[in-house]
Amino acid sequence: MNKQEQQGMTIIVKTVTRLTFGLILLYGAYIVLHGHVSPGGGFAGGVIIALAFINLMLAFGRDVTLKKISKGSTSFFESVGAILFFGIALLGFIGGCFFLNILPKGAPFRLFSAGIIPFCNIAIMLKVGAGIFAIFLALVLLETEAKERK
Amino acid sequence: MILYLLCLVLFSLGIYCTVRKRNIIKIIVGIMILEYSVNLFFALIAYKENGRAPIYSETQDILNMVDPLPHALVLTAIVIGLATTALLVAIAIKIYEKYGTFDITKIRELRG
Repeated sequence: MNKQEQQGMTIIVKTVTRLTFGLILLYGAYIVLHGHVSPGGGFAGGVIIALAFINLMLAFGRDVTLKKISKGSTSFFESVGAILFFGIALLGFIGGCFFLNILPKGAPFRLFSAGIIPFCNIAIMLKVGAGIFAIFLALVLLETEAKERK
Repeated sequence: MILYLLCLVLFSLGIYCTVRKRNIIKIIVGIMILEYSVNLFFALIAYKENGRAPIYSETQDILNMVDPLPHALVLTAIVIGLATTALLVAIAIKIYEKYGTFDITKIRELRG
């Protein structure tokens, strides 16, 4: 057993996390994509997706998680979410005003309906998910930095 | 009415925890209890007897909905509470790194 496998919690926690990680991500994606027809939306789904990665970090330790999603890519996704949301808002100027719903609305209560609202939800999901994970990552890195200084 | 009073009890508990405790982590938990008691109060104001969720749906009539405005307010308050809690925890980690303790009575030096 090398040093990296010893990091993190016991094998029970690791196995359960490995099994549930994909399911949590899938549930988060479901909440985001159905944001315009049922309760939930970008913020709630983003928090669930961020919690999946936080779960991974708690169970496996810092290094394994940083290999999956690094500090740079977290900050990249957060910025992309903000720019995407702003871009969707600017696209309304094609029709005449800011935040105008330019896409066809479709039938109510269908998955593909409500124009730009699902795209707004996806942008918010990127921003919130990456943001909350970045907060947790910053706290973890702060602590490791303090340990190294001592 | 008794529910509002219980909400006030929770609020007082949060103030007690924030003012009286010496451990920084316990103070942060007290601030969080304060926030959540206020959020609970807003949700209780919005509640209506036999009301339903304020969401438009195919099968149900738009009748007797609970008030959605406090819900929107509470959602914003939860987000801001998350941000302030993260900031407080970061400051607490920095204080622990500098002084080696969470006890506020032992943090006496004000040097930069």
